[in-house]
Amino acid sequence: MKAALLTVLVILLAMPVLAQQAPPPWQQGRSAEMANSPLAPHAQPPAPKAASEIPVNTIKVPQGFKAELWASGIDNARSMAWGDKGTLFVGSRGAGNVYAIVDRNGTREVKTIAKGLQMPNGVAFKDGTLYVAEISRITKFEGIENTLDSPPQAKVVIDTLPKDLPHGWKVLAFGPDGKLYFNIGAPCNICMPPETHAKIVRVNPDGTGLEYVAHGVRNSVGLDFHPVTNELYFSNHGRDWLGEDVPNDTLHHVVQRGVNFGYPMCHQGDILDPVFGKGHACSEFAAPLLKLGPHVAPIGVHFYRGNMFPAEYKNRLFIAEKGSWNKTDKIGFRVTMVTLQPGRPPKEDVFAEGWMQSGGQFWGRPAYVQEMKDGSLLIADDYAGAIYRVSYQK
Amino acid sequence: MTTRERSTASATRSNTLRFLLAVVAGVTALAVTPAVQAADVEAGRRKAEACAVCHGPSGNSTMPTVPSLAGQPPTYTYYQLVMFKREKRRDPQMSPFAVNLSDEEMQDIAAYYAAQTPARPPGSSDTATTEAGDRLVKQHFCNSCHTPALMGQKHIPRLAGQQKEYLLKQLRGFKTQTAADLDGSMTMSAQPLTEQDIEVLADYLAHLRPGGGS
Repeated sequence: MKAALLTVLVILLAMPVLAQQAPPPWQQGRSAEMANSPLAPHAQPPAPKAASEIPVNTIKVPQGFKAELWASGIDNARSMAWGDKGTLFVGSRGAGNVYAIVDRNGTREVKTIAKGLQMPNGVAFKDGTLYVAEISRITKFEGIENTLDSPPQAKVVIDTLPKDLPHGWKVLAFGPDGKLYFNIGAPCNICMPPETHAKIVRVNPDGTGLEYVAHGVRNSVGLDFHPVTNELYFSNHGRDWLGEDVPNDTLHHVVQRGVNFGYPMCHQGDILDPVFGKGHACSEFAAPLLKLGPHVAPIGVHFYRGNMFPAEYKNRLFIAEKGSWNKTDKIGFRVTMVTLQPGRPPKEDVFAEGWMQSGGQFWGRPAYVQEMKDGSLLIADDYAGAIYRVSYQK
Repeated sequence: MTTRERSTASATRSNTLRFLLAVVAGVTALAVTPAVQAADVEAGRRKAEACAVCHGPSGNSTMPTVPSLAGQPPTYTYYQLVMFKREKRRDPQMSPFAVNLSDEEMQDIAAYYAAQTPARPPGSSDTATTEAGDRLVKQHFCNSCHTPALMGQKHIPRLAGQQKEYLLKQLRGFKTQTAADLDGSMTMSAQPLTEQDIEVLADYLAHLRPGGGS
């Protein structure tokens, strides 16, 4: 407990002094008329659920698919990356841990390989090395799969990233160009961010050559590259306190490096911000590829590359929606799939749901998706601290 | 350093065995997979009989250091019980009690207390304390999370009408960074408070009428 508390403290006390004399960050941008709103973010539970407490049978998947509990007891499980030797590495946010999950003849063993980190949400793996993205730095663990029980000291890749906590946690992935891609979110709900923020960024694996890939991106913590075109797609969270049904959270396609998606001036490609939009038009900015619904909270995205699922699933994009808080009638709490259709708008369908029950009660929140070697799909749930496996049988 | 947690799956060799195991697994799954159901206030009331000794018959404590639970948001009580059970919060009385509770029981107890009416606190603060307390609440944005009437929401507790000694203990604990804190918010918020601020706040909050009014 001491260690966990200390972690939280280190994080919070590192925040700017504004914390003590200012309303909490999630309330920023709330108008005076909304001062009595009962809406507030859902707290991460203090501990993961035990396997026996996880009602996995309530997860609904399409005909022929099956969802099962694959691993549990993983406090705050977030993004996932595979090691070369079959270890699944899992990041977390508030828990401050990085986990390694090893499958031994059908039994999953969860090891905590790093703790006390500052929101180590992003994990990526290449050539025997695990890369971990925290708020203001990326570190690496070389040869980690050979030393899971005595992990090597982390080496710094880059430690000069902004220290802001709001939207400072990161997704991390290697692009087809061998560079590390990640986000630097807006340090607020709605504000004019510093020039260094509201970006998708890439850097060489040695930490050199930082470049901006996309601008005007409020908070993206999910990205992947199309298996055929190699082009970047990412999810993005729209601003809060503009309304129950606006703006939409969005899916973006980066056709050209340096594109600007409009934050904080324009939201969802066609709504000017009442404050920051003054003097602008949405036509100045690139539009999102798809509107995903207001406040659904799209986190992890993943293109399906495997062969287990029916042929039409190939190259579909799975999106984990953690679910809404800034909306009275909750939505999200599910995994959707987007089919890209040449010359036509993309089509979005529900793939897995059931974490939220009627009446808005929910027992889990899907956060990230990853594929197994056999083509089955893993879904990480940071709320229940679990990973589910969805498989298909003809 | 290393935590281990095992989950199970079955590996099979032959088709027959696979079929038999599938049947067994199916039955087992039916038996052990928890159903999702709304928290049960009546079950919570029965389970909470043991809590009444300290927390009061309807969750309105009369013991200065024991918090009132009546009208607390259900998520607050549930999460605190989980923290006791998982040893993220420790107390000589509460820890041994919580360790034996199931997830369902904790949610039922929380639902029961949420459904109880908070009692009107006896007495009132003097005018100077009331004014100073009101000013401190605004200055430190307590009502941002605890709501304008300080009745709590979600995982955030009701402060209005809480036991003064308990509020003092908690605020001092957050200030000295020794009190269990779900997400660190209170530890951070308590840092600028002086001992005098804490005494004023505790007195002011303890005398606030739950639900407003005067």
